[in-house]
Amino acid sequence: MSHEKDKLTAEAKTIQIGVRKESKLDFIKEVMKMPGGEKILDCIQCGSCSGGCPSMFAMDYSPMQIIKMINLGMKEKVLSSSTIWVCSLCYTCATRCPRNVDFPTLMMSLRNKAIRENLVKDCAKSNFHKYFFEIVNKYGRMHNPELIIKLLDITDFDSLLHNVRLGLRLLRRGKLHLRAPKMETSWVSSILEKTDQEEFQ
Amino acid sequence: MKYAFYPGCSSHSMAKDYDDSTKAICKVLDIELVEIPDWNCCGSIDAVYSFKPLYSIALAARNLAIAKKMQMDIVTPCSACYFTLNRTNKILREDAGTKSKVNEALANLGFSYTGSVRVRHLADIILSDIVLQKIKEKVKIQLTNLNIASYYGCYLVRPPEICNFDDPEHPTHLDKLVETLGASKVDYYGKTRCCGASLGITDEELAMKMSKDILVSAKNSGANCLATACHLCHFNLDARQKDIESRFDIKINLPVLYFTQLVGLAFGIEPKQLGLQRNWVSSRKIFPLSMTSVS
Repeated sequence: MSHEKDKLTAEAKTIQIGVRKESKLDFIKEVMKMPGGEKILDCIQCGSCSGGCPSMFAMDYSPMQIIKMINLGMKEKVLSSSTIWVCSLCYTCATRCPRNVDFPTLMMSLRNKAIRENLVKDCAKSNFHKYFFEIVNKYGRMHNPELIIKLLDITDFDSLLHNVRLGLRLLRRGKLHLRAPKMETSWVSSILEKTDQEEFQ
Repeated sequence: MKYAFYPGCSSHSMAKDYDDSTKAICKVLDIELVEIPDWNCCGSIDAVYSFKPLYSIALAARNLAIAKKMQMDIVTPCSACYFTLNRTNKILREDAGTKSKVNEALANLGFSYTGSVRVRHLADIILSDIVLQKIKEKVKIQLTNLNIASYYGCYLVRPPEICNFDDPEHPTHLDKLVETLGASKVDYYGKTRCCGASLGITDEELAMKMSKDILVSAKNSGANCLATACHLCHFNLDARQKDIESRFDIKINLPVLYFTQLVGLAFGIEPKQLGLQRNWVSSRKIFPLSMTSVS
C-alpha cells in the first residue's frame, strides 16, 4: 500500500517538474515574441549592458542578470523586479551590446506584461502609464497639470508638499499651462477601438 | 527651407522657452516651420507604449500620415518625439503585421501610412554644414566668455538605428555650434549620460542622482554653461538643480540653456524673446560679460 503511495507521489512530482519546465519554456518563448525580446538567446553574458548602465545602482537585478533570469524562465521574479521600472530607457546598453539585444525595448514590453498580469509591486510606477494614457485619450495631447494632480500621493505629506511647491514654481515661470489642450478628439476612440482588438498579447 | 513642424506637447507648457527661441532663430535663418495641423501626442517613448503598444504606434502614425499629405520632411525640437516618430517609421517599414493593423485603424480617419516621411531633429537641421555657415554670417555677438558643455542626452544620438544624426558615443555636432558662436567647448564625462528622463516623475530621487553626476562633471571640467536640445533634460538639469543642491549638499549653480537660446543670444535677440527669464538657474550673470560685439 505504502509502496503504491510512494509511486503516486513520485509520479505527481514528475508531473510537477514537467509542468514547471513547460511553463519556463513558455515564458522564454513568450518573451522572444515581444518587441525587444527577439535576441535574448544570443546573450553571451559579457556584461557590457550592466557596465554602462547609468541607473544600475538602483536596480535589484542588473540588466545582464535579468536576461539570464529570462533565459532560465524565472517569470515572476523578472516581472516583479524593480529593474524593469528603474531602467531609464537611455539605450546605452543596446548601443553597446555586441549581440544586438534590445534591452530597453524589452523593458517596455515587460512593463506592459507586468501591468497586464498584476505583478507590479509599486503602483506609482504603473499609474504613470495609466494616467498618461487616460489624459492623451481625453485631450489628444498631454496636459501636464492634470498628470501631476493625478499622481499626487495624498497619504505622503512630504511628497505632497514637495510636489505642490514644484507645481507652483512651474506656474510662476509660466511653464505650466492650466488650460487643457483644445483639439477635436473624436478620432481617438476610433483608433483605440480598432487597436484594442489587435493589441499585442 | 520649409519643414512640417511637430512641436510636441511640451512646447506649449514646460518647454515654452524652447519653442519661443526655436521660432525666433528659424526666422533669422529663413527656415520656414509649417505646424502640422491638428497634430496629437506622439505617445512618448514608453508612457503610452508600456500601457498599450499598438495604440501608441497608431497615435504616432497619425501625425506622420498628416505630414505625408503635406509632402514635407518633419522637424521636431523634442528628442523624445524625434525618437518616437522615427521608431514608428522603423516598425511600420519592417513589421508588415503591425503595419496592416495600424493602417486598419488609420483607414477610418482617411489616412494610410507606410513609414515614408523623413523625421529630423531640429538640431540636425540647425547643425548641418550649410546652416552652420549661415549662422556664422549672422552672429552679431561673440559668446567668448562662455565655456559651454554640450549635453546630448540620449535620444538625440541613441539608438543609432533610430536616431542617427551623430556618433552615439562621441557626438560632436553641438561642439561645432559652440565654436561657431565664439564660445569654448568643454570636454566632460557626462556628455551622453542619461539625466533620468521621465524617471523624474516616477522615481525622483534616482533622477536627481543621475542629473547630479552630469552637472558636477560639467562643472568640474570648467563649464560655466550647459547646452541642451531636449526639454526633459532641461527640466531635470535646470528646474531640479536647486533641489539637487540641497539634497546632496553641494553648490552647482550652472545655467542650463537650450542650444537655440544660445544661437539667439549670439544673433543679438532680446533674452526675453528667447524665454531666458523662465530658467531657474539665472543666466544673467554670464551674459553681460560675454557680450562683446563683433563690429
